[in-house]
Amino acid sequence: MGSAHIKLSRRQVLGIAAGGVVGAVGFRYLTLQLPGVSQKVASAGGAAGAWASPLTTSAGRAAHLLRRATFGYTAAEWDSAASMSYPDLVDMIVNQAAQPLPTVADPTSYQAVVRAWYEHMATTPAQFPERMTLFWHGLLTSDYRKAARLPFVLQQNVLYRSIGRTDFRSLINAVTFDPLMIRYLDLEESTAAAPNENYSRELMELFTLGVGNYSESDVREGARALSGIRTILVDANGQRMQVPKLKGSTPAAYAQAVGQLLAQGASFKGVLAPQQHDAGVKTFLGRTGNIDPAQALDIILAQPACAPHIARNALVQFCTPDPPASLVTSVATAFRSSNYDIKTLMRTIFTSEAFSAPDAYRSLVRGPAEYMVATMRALNRPNLAARCVQAGAAMDQILYDMPTVAGWPANQGWVSSGAWLARLNFAANVVASAHTFPDPVAAVHAQLDGVVGTDTAAVFNASQSDGDRWYALLGSPEFQLK
Amino acid sequence: MITRRDFMVSGITATGVGIIVPPVFAKSVFAATVEDVHNDKVLVILQLGGGNDGLNTVIPFADPAYLQARPTIGITADKVLPLNASVGLNPVMPGLKKLFDAGEVAVVQGVGYPKPVYSHFEGLYIWEHADPSMQQTEGWLGKLLASQLDGQGHPLTGCALGQASTPAELVAQNATVSVIDSIPTYQVQGGAGRQVAAPALYKQTPGIYGALFDQALSTAEYGIAALGDSQHRYTPSVSYTAQSTVYGSKNSLATSLQLTAEMIITQPSVKICHVVLGGFDTHQDEDTRQNALLAYVDSAVSAFMQDIANHGMADRVVLMTWSEFGRRVAENGGKGTDHGAAAPIFVVGKPVKGGVFGEQPSLTRTVDAGNLQYNVDFRSVYQTLIRDWLNADPASVLGASFPELPIIQTL
Repeated sequence: MGSAHIKLSRRQVLGIAAGGVVGAVGFRYLTLQLPGVSQKVASAGGAAGAWASPLTTSAGRAAHLLRRATFGYTAAEWDSAASMSYPDLVDMIVNQAAQPLPTVADPTSYQAVVRAWYEHMATTPAQFPERMTLFWHGLLTSDYRKAARLPFVLQQNVLYRSIGRTDFRSLINAVTFDPLMIRYLDLEESTAAAPNENYSRELMELFTLGVGNYSESDVREGARALSGIRTILVDANGQRMQVPKLKGSTPAAYAQAVGQLLAQGASFKGVLAPQQHDAGVKTFLGRTGNIDPAQALDIILAQPACAPHIARNALVQFCTPDPPASLVTSVATAFRSSNYDIKTLMRTIFTSEAFSAPDAYRSLVRGPAEYMVATMRALNRPNLAARCVQAGAAMDQILYDMPTVAGWPANQGWVSSGAWLARLNFAANVVASAHTFPDPVAAVHAQLDGVVGTDTAAVFNASQSDGDRWYALLGSPEFQLK
Repeated sequence: MITRRDFMVSGITATGVGIIVPPVFAKSVFAATVEDVHNDKVLVILQLGGGNDGLNTVIPFADPAYLQARPTIGITADKVLPLNASVGLNPVMPGLKKLFDAGEVAVVQGVGYPKPVYSHFEGLYIWEHADPSMQQTEGWLGKLLASQLDGQGHPLTGCALGQASTPAELVAQNATVSVIDSIPTYQVQGGAGRQVAAPALYKQTPGIYGALFDQALSTAEYGIAALGDSQHRYTPSVSYTAQSTVYGSKNSLATSLQLTAEMIITQPSVKICHVVLGGFDTHQDEDTRQNALLAYVDSAVSAFMQDIANHGMADRVVLMTWSEFGRRVAENGGKGTDHGAAAPIFVVGKPVKGGVFGEQPSLTRTVDAGNLQYNVDFRSVYQTLIRDWLNADPASVLGASFPELPIIQTL
């Protein structure tokens, strides 16, 4: 394609507005005008200093949903989505069945798992299950550090994918007995004689209720109720096995031994060891009794703060950076009354008025993993997965190695001088390693709704090659947003 | 209910989706002048992430209650590096002991605040915002930068080093912060064309994040230009051991502090540097884990102080450590300790008046069932550093006045 055909047209200049935080200059909105392609951009509705929202059109709304519920899309997927009614599209997405993670060569290497996951995120048609796996990973956090050379990261990844769209009761029960979580938050160290408080506290503070909805006494009593959870290795028939010892083995031989066990159907699992569990009477969140882990979780799930806590976290990731209380309440109510059905939670968010309101357009910042996977999908280059594993650190997101148990920042928390350079440099390196490119003009239309600011248009128009054009697209502010 | 997310979105207006207020409105605001900003007095903040156990850092070896509470992870009197007749440093910290003996370390005992919280994220918020009531939305260092150190918004006056995101302490509406993971990567990669295109993409970005994005790029652009020849003006005079494999730490402190030295030595406008080392949440195996982390802190801080001194800038730099809380007096069943309250902090540098300040809290007369009662409000330390070290006005940053500590040399 010659450069004469790929200039962004300046004929369509929309919504000049003065005022706003940047003073009297205002913004102009340049849109693509391609022969035979209809204008997809609403010509009105842009507030001062905002992009003109295309969310009034079915194509615009479909793209908006795909950017949030998935890791991005090809032009064909967008076309198909735009041809459906919005409720049907939402249903289709939330009901997607997950595709299993392909076999990981070394299940004891978290980096191998993360690389396989990046590739899977980039290639699987079942996008929503992967996006939910990442959502739960960011909320119900664990890092790899205490489980080096064990296949626990892989097992947790598989777990979140398989039950991350069922119901939260099943999920939080499984998480509490997940080997990586048991290791990460020290449940393994917790005995009747000396209960370890780490999981009890973070379970309530971060995973289910939020600060202010439990007392320090609940933390201590909860630790007693949760004491005695241990990880065991079982074979395919559920018979307990000895865990291979790393000591005296080489890492490679050990990895091979563990890999062989898993291939034969063995798995690690959390169980309650009665002799380590405090069977005494506890008073936890106002309830008194001989409370065990499952009962403790039931008591937590019966708290009025639980559904709003999950709803708020989901809204910040999928809907609006600062959800008003009324929105949190309405989503939480639907979630709670469906007995914590996760599909109901997500359907309620995606079909809410707030989700498609004009000010929802580009109101969320793609996290680094989302940004990198969207890049792979836009370019159809899943072979960048290894690069994603390396590049995340400088953008402040390493999967299975979050900064703290509270997970990663959201939205504006991702923005810093260094992190933004890292995004631009990722784009530069990706472009530099490509030999051919999809049509960049079509991509501006498909990926950016044809709605770009003056800066993106100017850099795109000044570009000398398709590589330059793709750099402008991938590095643009518009592509960082969803 | 206050959650971490509430804190993080506090910059957004309450009604619907408002404009994300950027630290500085105009992109050209810092371009003009840095004359009134000098690196004559630099404050380095070292955050020990996760809640460092104060009792195994500065050990009250003379108190029998200590080993009674710590039968397996307690450090016996014969091993500690004594600071006086009752307390001593963890034996993995010979470097700090040497600096202490030279009069360059103030150990402030029992630092905390009333009604301690035991949540990482509330504890962090309180220290970051200098506000136990958790009402403030701006970080104390950000406020200090914006209101007094650098009203011009110079991008290199406040720096977060060896990390990728902006620490909450430095976030304030009118504070500009350079976030630099490493100088070699703090570049626009891909050649001259990209170096033109990257900043050109972020001049007038629309939308609620527009000004924030644009400021990130303009800050980076300025920093890259300023740092362009810094490697010709700085050579480390000591060996910083980059033990990035220390268990559970998510940052390489030695590398971060070497970068800090480079920034201070080559950039005349640097005033505040923030570095962090994580991994101190030692619910289990504290004996091996905390020792490894403290040894790393000891070697990295010692190297940094020596490097600064060798470059003739010892009179210009003070380093302060902090952590969101100390840990429970009694050990738990996993050779670890659970979340606690008051703890000691270190203030290090040639301008420091060395010694042990404040009182070691009682190990037996505790608060909240087994936690240390604070003796020194952490804002006293902040106030002392703001007024006595940086010659600035603490009231506008802290909103109240706190007793000062005699830990800075008066010349």
